[in-house]
Amino acid sequence: MKLIELTEVSKIYDETIVPVRAVDNVNLQIDKGEFTAIVGPSGSGKTTLLNLIGGLDKPTAGKIFVDGTDISTYKEDELINFRLHHIGFVFQAYNLIPVFTAKENVEFIMLLQNISRDEREKRAIDFLDAVGLKDRINNFPTELSGGQQQRVAVARALASTPSFVLADEPTANLDSVSAESLLDLMEELNFKHNMTFIFSTHDEKVIRRAHRIIQLRDGKIEKDITSKSNYPINS
Amino acid sequence: MLFILAWRNIWRNKKRSAIIIAAITAGLSCGLFASAVMYGMYESLINSTIDRELGHIQIHSLKFEDEKILSDTIPEFKSVLNEIKLLPEISGLSSRVIIEGMCSSPTSSSGVRIAGINPEEESKVTTIRNLIIEGNYFNTDLSPEVVIGKKLAEKLDVKLKSKIVLSFQDFEGNIVYAAFRVAGIYRTESSLFDQSVIFVNQNELYGLLNSKEFSHEIVLRLNSFEQVDSVFTKLSKQFPMLSVKDWKLLAPEIKIYYEILDIQLYFFMGIILFALLFGITNTMLMSVIERIREIGILIALGMKRSKIFLMIIIETIALSLVGGFAGLIVGVIIIGIVGSTGINLSAFTEGLSQFSIATVLYPVLPLSFYPVITLMIIFSAIIAAIYPAIKAIKLKPATAIRTY
Repeated sequence: MKLIELTEVSKIYDETIVPVRAVDNVNLQIDKGEFTAIVGPSGSGKTTLLNLIGGLDKPTAGKIFVDGTDISTYKEDELINFRLHHIGFVFQAYNLIPVFTAKENVEFIMLLQNISRDEREKRAIDFLDAVGLKDRINNFPTELSGGQQQRVAVARALASTPSFVLADEPTANLDSVSAESLLDLMEELNFKHNMTFIFSTHDEKVIRRAHRIIQLRDGKIEKDITSKSNYPINS
Repeated sequence: MLFILAWRNIWRNKKRSAIIIAAITAGLSCGLFASAVMYGMYESLINSTIDRELGHIQIHSLKFEDEKILSDTIPEFKSVLNEIKLLPEISGLSSRVIIEGMCSSPTSSSGVRIAGINPEEESKVTTIRNLIIEGNYFNTDLSPEVVIGKKLAEKLDVKLKSKIVLSFQDFEGNIVYAAFRVAGIYRTESSLFDQSVIFVNQNELYGLLNSKEFSHEIVLRLNSFEQVDSVFTKLSKQFPMLSVKDWKLLAPEIKIYYEILDIQLYFFMGIILFALLFGITNTMLMSVIERIREIGILIALGMKRSKIFLMIIIETIALSLVGGFAGLIVGVIIIGIVGSTGINLSAFTEGLSQFSIATVLYPVLPLSFYPVITLMIIFSAIIAAIYPAIKAIKLKPATAIRTY
């Protein structure tokens, strides 16, 4: 089932001075349930592409459809609302709100969605339980390891019941054990709940586990490799 | 949860928050104390004016108000007095004869207002009896007696028991001369009053004027200051053919001062808060700049910019209110302590007496001042927060989340 579709999407920076085509006429389709890694050297356009898919940036040309809706024409307020209800973000480490506990971090996104207090609390505990942190719900981020913080970030991303999760170099600041553990968790969520994950990464560990690898170079898709054997059984 | 977020954000950099809170506390408490001193001065001015001469309410004939002519007496003043005596709010009632005249000693002379009083009644209305610094408040073996101010005594170069001559017009326009002996010398907070008002027993004046009892001025003192407005309204209706005035009408210059004092003090506090506002803005701006990545993440996650704006405003208000309340508490404590001990300004007696202000000053602030100050703090905080908040909502999430 088609979840995301990019049609001739380009993003050009500094159009008036020295134009930089960060994303150059990209056509891409990502289906529901994919576990996809966008890879490429620095400056290849991974982050820009991820920003465009995540509604953090607007394309200079082309159209981006998510669940059949063209988000490239959205205004800023509409994009904020779109991100809130459709996308779960997992950034590099240190992306939690430091003055909130693990539970409050997960609850906060639901507060923005105007979910009732009781429902928020229940779901926050459930999601933290799902990522293996039930006994750390009242810990502040500084009291958690990098891997645990990223697990909280995953719980937060899932708490908003998004259409898909965008993870920007989620293992970049983690040691190999924590990184593998985080990927196990994401893979499990993908497998059990058919949750779509899209990564931007340099990390071999992530690339090895991805079911689809989109390789960028100079803003264009250089390779698009699908490893059928890695696909979850229910996809 | 937004409030929790804002509150906890304040304490992320404890040292920085503590510095700005200390600045607000110091600025506000000093401002409050200075305001309380000014208010105390004003209260001293009112109280001394009321205690010394005005009383709370005065009644005259309508014509006496304009020209202060001897014949403009209060019609049937005794029945007026009897009616007023029935009011439960009255704590003192005095009938006065007021004559403008001259007072001469062998060396000098001066224009004076001669207040013919019943000493016992007068002592329940004004405090002249307590302000005698030499001699007695009447009831001496000297006759006829006069009580004069220290300043006039100096001007006329007279002492206790000295003879002075009073001259004034009688009902027919003839000049009456009469010798009096100085029985007492008083000193009030007002050197002008001390120089221009003398007290004699009103029976002496009736005799000199060869007249039955009459009155120009009925002075009332009430049980409490708060009763003035209601009693004034009541008496104004009860005696429509007489001029009834409360202290505010009798001393309009004090009333004007009273009306602008609050504005002056709020303006004064406004200046202090305005100065503090820049410090608060600086603190919040630093706080926003330090959190660019975090705010970017909040926007990326889907937090509306209006809520980001609100969060910064709440943080600033909370920060300011912590300092504000600390300032209010410190201010109240200082005002309470100094208000009970008083500030001794006896070194400036000469200067203060020009303005009818007591030499011991008791700082005081009305309770109504505090909620207004709290609102002013909140208002200042909102103003201070605007620039940092605008800075925060202008962040682009795509770049902000990659700022380290």
